Amino acid sequence: MTGLVSAHSVVDPSPLTKRIAAIVVIAYALITLVPLLWIVMTGFKSPSDAIAYPPKLVAEPTLEGYCNLFTTRSRQAPEYMAKLPPASGLCDRISRDRNMVIAGPSNYIPRYVNSLVIAFGSTALSVVLGTLAAYAFSRFKVPLKDDLMFFILSTRMMPPIAVAIPIYLMYRELGLSDTKLGMILLYTSVNISLAVWLLKGFMDEIPREYEDAAMVDGYTRLQAFFKVVLPQATTGIVATAIFCLIFAWNEYAFAVLLTSGTAQTAPPFIPIIIGEGGQDWPAVAAGTTLFLIPIVVFTVLLRKHLLRGITFGAVRK
Amino acid sequence: MTDQTGLSGLVDRAALVTSPVVARRVRGLSERAIAWLFITPTMLLLLAINIFPLIWTIRLSFTNYRANRPNATVLDVGLANYQSILTDPDVWAAMTVTARFVFWSILIQTVIGFTLAWLIDKKFRGHGLWTTLILLPMMLSPAVVGNFWTFLYQPQIGLFNYVVAALTGAPASSFQMLAQVPLAPWAIVIVDTWMWTPYVMLICLAGLRSIPDYIYEAAEVDRASPWRQFWSITLPMALPFIMLAVLFRGIENFKMFDMVNLLTGGGPGSTTEMASITLKREAFEKWRTGYSSAFAIILFVTVFGLANIYVKALNRVKSR
Amino acid sequence: MSGSSHTNPADVVATRWPRVLRRGRMETVATILIAAGVLMLLQPFALVLYTYSFVTTLAGVVMFTIVSKFPD
Repeated sequence: MTGLVSAHSVVDPSPLTKRIAAIVVIAYALITLVPLLWIVMTGFKSPSDAIAYPPKLVAEPTLEGYCNLFTTRSRQAPEYMAKLPPASGLCDRISRDRNMVIAGPSNYIPRYVNSLVIAFGSTALSVVLGTLAAYAFSRFKVPLKDDLMFFILSTRMMPPIAVAIPIYLMYRELGLSDTKLGMILLYTSVNISLAVWLLKGFMDEIPREYEDAAMVDGYTRLQAFFKVVLPQATTGIVATAIFCLIFAWNEYAFAVLLTSGTAQTAPPFIPIIIGEGGQDWPAVAAGTTLFLIPIVVFTVLLRKHLLRGITFGAVRK
Repeated sequence: MTDQTGLSGLVDRAALVTSPVVARRVRGLSERAIAWLFITPTMLLLLAINIFPLIWTIRLSFTNYRANRPNATVLDVGLANYQSILTDPDVWAAMTVTARFVFWSILIQTVIGFTLAWLIDKKFRGHGLWTTLILLPMMLSPAVVGNFWTFLYQPQIGLFNYVVAALTGAPASSFQMLAQVPLAPWAIVIVDTWMWTPYVMLICLAGLRSIPDYIYEAAEVDRASPWRQFWSITLPMALPFIMLAVLFRGIENFKMFDMVNLLTGGGPGSTTEMASITLKREAFEKWRTGYSSAFAIILFVTVFGLANIYVKALNRVKSR
Repeated sequence: MSGSSHTNPADVVATRWPRVLRRGRMETVATILIAAGVLMLLQPFALVLYTYSFVTTLAGVVMFTIVSKFPD
């Protein structure tokens, strides 16, 4: 085996194979992206265009869906409409055209803010607790280490509905029902398993020699942890945080069962956005689009660590 | 905060401010003390939010407690809840509905996912970009996106019906994916496949990339046909990874709730009523808390058992 | 951890421990029990199998937890 052969190894697929592979993969990608594109497009259609048959590929773009998403409106008699002062904004004008008056803001923004608060709160908590625990599991002799690690992982696998029953009862007793704090604690308990497993993997990759050297220089173990290990683990911590964020952001089962008002997040809210005579699909699509955008951005940022995240750190590529 | 290095500066200053005695005590923290200090908060949280509720559920599963009647007397019913769940043909039917969903969704996802991974592993130009695009659906909220699929599945106006009509010639209003008994389970399988095939693909891809080139080179020297190479090298060596993906997706789909709840809510009739939907009805609509606690424990134990096998599979992959 | 003993305690246990009860083999048995329990839970053929599925899985889980402490 000469260098020439192994450099362009015999296993390199032929150009034809590559081309066929490319065509099939790209076709699959385009097909799976259609539903997502359809969501974005529907958000800019008028309600009648959205439910037209055959489905309209091109429609006159309008912001009506977004207006309906952010406002509640009431239908008024033409006499009443005539007496109103001129419309003040874009959304105002759009709703006047439909013989409606804007009655106030909708619940979408509060729900979105709830999602933000709960997702970031639980992520921060899981990453802090997870980093500490992962370091301990990575560096120290902990009795029953494997059992503790398995126990931590198994908490994530539990069926949410089964967990929700006792949590519902417990939160009712503690006054945590439908509170952001309650949801933050609950999501943290689910996310912490992923955080510990992932971060342990990242910490295992940081050579112990670094800390040992620091400790020879007079650092204590804690100082070595803060000054040497944490900076080295930054990439891992950020990747883990994004994973926790995505889970908390997307979660539905706990949210729909345990929240109804003040702490309700966006996922249980978006499906119940209704207009006159059923679901207001452009508004739902608009709400969905705004809800999905952060995740699309994060997915692109995270693409190098995705595999690690979904296998709890077992596969590192 | 004039310190230049945030956290580490904080530690230094804390050491400066604290009295020498305390400082010595902190400095002298043994490794064991640090280990426990670092692990305890996590354990306490999991004890409070996972273990304590679990024990409570076990306790409740032997009673006839109803959460909507907190003042009614609670009777100890022994194993009656378990007995009635495990002999009830309706619950059994929910389990078989779950089983059918798990079987078909996992089978289809594995076949498509592995094929895609195998094609991407041919390393055509731009495969990185397309891989990232393919991965998008699995990162999105199953509930929010699942909800949108009800729009795509609308009879007459839905895009899905339109495309099927255009491809087969059958009128778009002649079938209702979510409302017809033979179609509803498939409607859910399709959305689940759309969403989670990328997951299987990603893990299979890792499996394929873990096969060292020299094995193929040796096979090439032995003049093994591509067909043989696939069956005797590619597939067996990627198998642990495929198992990993199948197990994890199996566990996830066994407890599937969000997508089904939004797409069909268990209907039409009880065609798509999976275990978690039944559990939700018993627990949060009929408020049979004791009964549903027993049901929850049954699901718990099943998932816990599968998780044991999953971790075994994880470790096997890790050693590669 | 005193370093005074030269024989690894694990070796002593391993040699005394009956071959049939080694961890790997017992874990396989437990795994088969769990898998059987899950299949019994999900099969559409016989109600009897469904009825006894939970006990089977539970036995598998308990066994798995215990035998994972056994020496290799």
